[in-house]
Amino acid sequence: MKFGYTIIYVADVPATVAFYEAAFGLSRRFIHESDLYAEMETGETAIAFGANVAAEMAGLAIVPNEPRAPAAGWEICLVTDDVAAGYDRAVAAGCAPVAPPAEKPWGQTVSYVRDLNGCLVEIASPMATVSTA
Amino acid sequence: MHLPAGYREQSPSPLAARHVETAWSFCADAAGTGLVLPDGRCDIIVYTPPGAAAVDLVLCGPATRAFSLSFEAGARWIGLRLRPERGALIWGEELVRATDRVLRGADAMAYLPALAPLCRLGVTGAEIETALDALPPRRADPGLTRSLEATHLSGGRLDVDRLARHVGLTTRHLSRLWRAHVGLSPKTYAQIIRFHRALRLLRDELGGGLTPIAAAYEAGYADQAHMARAFRRFGGFAPSGIPEGLNLPGMPGMPG
Repeated sequence: MKFGYTIIYVADVPATVAFYEAAFGLSRRFIHESDLYAEMETGETAIAFGANVAAEMAGLAIVPNEPRAPAAGWEICLVTDDVAAGYDRAVAAGCAPVAPPAEKPWGQTVSYVRDLNGCLVEIASPMATVSTA
Repeated sequence: MHLPAGYREQSPSPLAARHVETAWSFCADAAGTGLVLPDGRCDIIVYTPPGAAAVDLVLCGPATRAFSLSFEAGARWIGLRLRPERGALIWGEELVRATDRVLRGADAMAYLPALAPLCRLGVTGAEIETALDALPPRRADPGLTRSLEATHLSGGRLDVDRLARHVGLTTRHLSRLWRAHVGLSPKTYAQIIRFHRALRLLRDELGGGLTPIAAAYEAGYADQAHMARAFRRFGGFAPSGIPEGLNLPGMPGMPG
């Protein structure tokens, strides 16, 4: 088994893709012509967006993401060398600020926002490679 | 919603879609019976008995009980199923007392005189939609609409406290909105949605059909006994005794 995708169910797939481009500087790999599915250009393991209605069509019951509700118990983490700039850009593009950049005891700079759908997004500096002796 | 051959559903016109979820019609080719499962919605129906010179207007309150229907060849119904949050459009303040209520003929026309002109042979679904649009509008709160959406998407698995937090309203306020616009408590409505999802999980709609244990678990019942109780309450049958050829109504949040 191999990790394939992370698929986030959202109310509006094209709007979410446009938001991720503006707020996080990611670019789209493609949006399916049905507007029910899209993938971002995030390397081998794609972040993808599926429409809530696609979850319905698959027979899934989900708790829909909702900006006003508590965030779901998971997050995606985007890594950048300039966390402060990344955080400011995200908030300027309409993300709800959750935790401004702060340096952690282990040396990583970490911040949190919530995207247009209320999903938690962590913007952090890369972790130093840990050597496993 | 209901019945075997001759039953059709279609999307309402864009104008009517504000109020109407589905426009349906049923024309009985032969005498028969059908089981109508509750869907928590209100319906406006025009019924034409076989060979009749007159038609009947039928107004249905939010449905929480199954009922059996017998019909003769040539009987014909056209109906509009309202969006769940539009029940007050036909029932107004009476909605809280309209659960499972059915008004027919003169009673229905006396209740909603504006729809009386629809009681004639050959009336179309589009004409009913137009008449509906002329009724005083009753705007539903966006929070109510989002809580309905969350109820559908979650298969009825969010309780009212969770729903209220989800849309940023107090539990009390949200429950009041449900009673005033849907006519049911969020709990009763969610139980109906869960029942429909469990039905689909047990049958082959979702790929193969689950075992009763697996279906009860995924639908959100504490155990098989709870699922069986819900099936008796809303369907009148046991999970092991789903009637052959039962036609499942189109429900939001579920594959057709």
